Amino acid sequence: MAIPVRGAGPLAGDRRRRAARLRLLLGAGLAAAMLLSLGWGAAGETDVTAALLARAGLAEASLRDSVIVWDIRLPRMLAGVLVGAALAVSGAVMQGLFRNPLADPGLVGVSSGAGLGAVLAIAGTGLLPAALQSFVGPWLLPLSAFAGGWLAVLLLYRMATQNGRTSVATMLLAGIALGALSGALTGLLVYRATDDELRDLTFWNMGSVAGVTWARLGAAAPFILAALAAAPFLARSLNALALGEAAALHLGIDVQRMKRIAILAAAASAGASVALTGGIGFVGIVVPHLLRLVQGPDHHGLLVNAGLAGAILLLLADAVSRSIIAPAELPIGIVTACLGGPVFLWIVLRSRAQLEL
Amino acid sequence: MELRAENLRVTAGRREILRGVDFAARAGEVAVIAGPNGSGKTTLLRALTGEIAHGGRVALNGRDCAALRPAELALLRAVLPQAAALSFPFTALEVVRLGLTAGVPGTRAATGRLPAMALARVGLAGFEGRHFHDLSGGEKQRVQLARVLVQIWEPVLDGAPRWLFLDEPVSALDIGHQLQVMAIARDYARAGGGVVAVLHDLNLTAMHADRVTLLDGGRVRSAGTPAEVLTDATLSAAYHCRLRTNTPPPAGGPWILPQAADHCQEEAAE
Repeated sequence: MAIPVRGAGPLAGDRRRRAARLRLLLGAGLAAAMLLSLGWGAAGETDVTAALLARAGLAEASLRDSVIVWDIRLPRMLAGVLVGAALAVSGAVMQGLFRNPLADPGLVGVSSGAGLGAVLAIAGTGLLPAALQSFVGPWLLPLSAFAGGWLAVLLLYRMATQNGRTSVATMLLAGIALGALSGALTGLLVYRATDDELRDLTFWNMGSVAGVTWARLGAAAPFILAALAAAPFLARSLNALALGEAAALHLGIDVQRMKRIAILAAAASAGASVALTGGIGFVGIVVPHLLRLVQGPDHHGLLVNAGLAGAILLLLADAVSRSIIAPAELPIGIVTACLGGPVFLWIVLRSRAQLEL
Repeated sequence: MELRAENLRVTAGRREILRGVDFAARAGEVAVIAGPNGSGKTTLLRALTGEIAHGGRVALNGRDCAALRPAELALLRAVLPQAAALSFPFTALEVVRLGLTAGVPGTRAATGRLPAMALARVGLAGFEGRHFHDLSGGEKQRVQLARVLVQIWEPVLDGAPRWLFLDEPVSALDIGHQLQVMAIARDYARAGGGVVAVLHDLNLTAMHADRVTLLDGGRVRSAGTPAEVLTDATLSAAYHCRLRTNTPPPAGGPWILPQAADHCQEEAAE
């Protein structure tokens, strides 16, 4: 049986070109959103271009403009991009892993697991020897959040999966239980925290990209970047996994290994995001779902586009949170929940028949 | 080149599902696994394809399957499951393209039209853009067959046969499509590949099998050509029914006419 050479034009049912076109569009959209985020702020008239070029010695900028752009807006903008991309990609990866469009780091307790890890780090830093404290200092929070998120996904996957089948009902219910449990432990730590720790906890708990410093960004970014870099390599396996674990194995996927990598990637991105900006919900469920409607569920196009669209969504949500009650700021988690809650309800109502709860 | 399995044992909890099964199949032939409900047919197929843990040894083309990585095995054999769930709204074409997950050796750039060809092969040309979830049970089964065919499209690779494992491939199909699927299996074997199929229908087995392995209670009751295995005495004992095996003039193979009988009626009464 001879194999003919690829013909011109896409076949019916082939949505890869649509995904590629959408990627260009989202890439342009992200660039625009990043510029918007840099150029727009509470400080009033600021020469952003000059401040950016001044670092390269190409222009003159005032110290005020330089500080606003380089120390306030740029880290905040980068945090928005990284966290938005991380949340959307970790949502898409978890949905592929659990074979269910309702899996979301915020919804199934991964974020609260990471939150517990973060709170443990904040409350426990004082217990470490001083030498160790200065050594692990900035890394402790993201590391601990990552560990908490990782444990949560791992536990959840173990509990929800039996004989290669993942039960939606078990996943959601176990997620609620895990969330409540880590919430209670978090509450306990908050209750017995000192005033200084309490201030840190409250600050962190607000869930905002405001006040992100280069140091905090630098500590969380490696986790997020590693997870984002790993995600495209999972696309092939996640596609095969849509047919079930046995079929994926027969298609040549080392299922156990790929599951470990997917769990690590989801936990690293969700955990580091929580460490950086607190609990921002619904990005991970809304973005992949809307993209699947447009370009189909092929993870090759989905994971990249989810990263781009998640970053755009968070930058826009940040813009809303900064302007809606200006000069004060609304925590961004409230904005994403207001956007995401209705969309999530809509998904649930649309797929009511398939839920089998 | 052949598939050879020795002393396969599978237990679920304390229950023994396979109690030391030997199995052999040759490339160029259609080997059928038959037997009553719960005799271990699907379990045997799963052990042969490495899907479940088992005692004993399986060798494909002389290579120990336990020593092969999933990616290596995927180039050597493809498996059609009894019923396949799909968790996201892929189109028929996208499902078939999943068959290319392990790649097509040596023809990386030339595989673009393969999924559409496979869909046409199973009689579903024009279904490329249809959503898998909207298809009928029979259409879904044939889309899955197309996916499996794409995975091992060339029946012989580098001089070694490739293997098609089918778990009840016709269970959701009408009689016309049953014959179509069996013809695809026959063509694959004729072109040098190997086919191992679990079949429920004894007459399909009699018509299409080169070799039959009849399982009963996790053991091989009988193995050989259809004429050797599908006899009144063997079948009656395995299925606890009175049966008459016959040979119609044109085909030359046996055919089985079930006649309601003692044990079956007792079971129905329960």
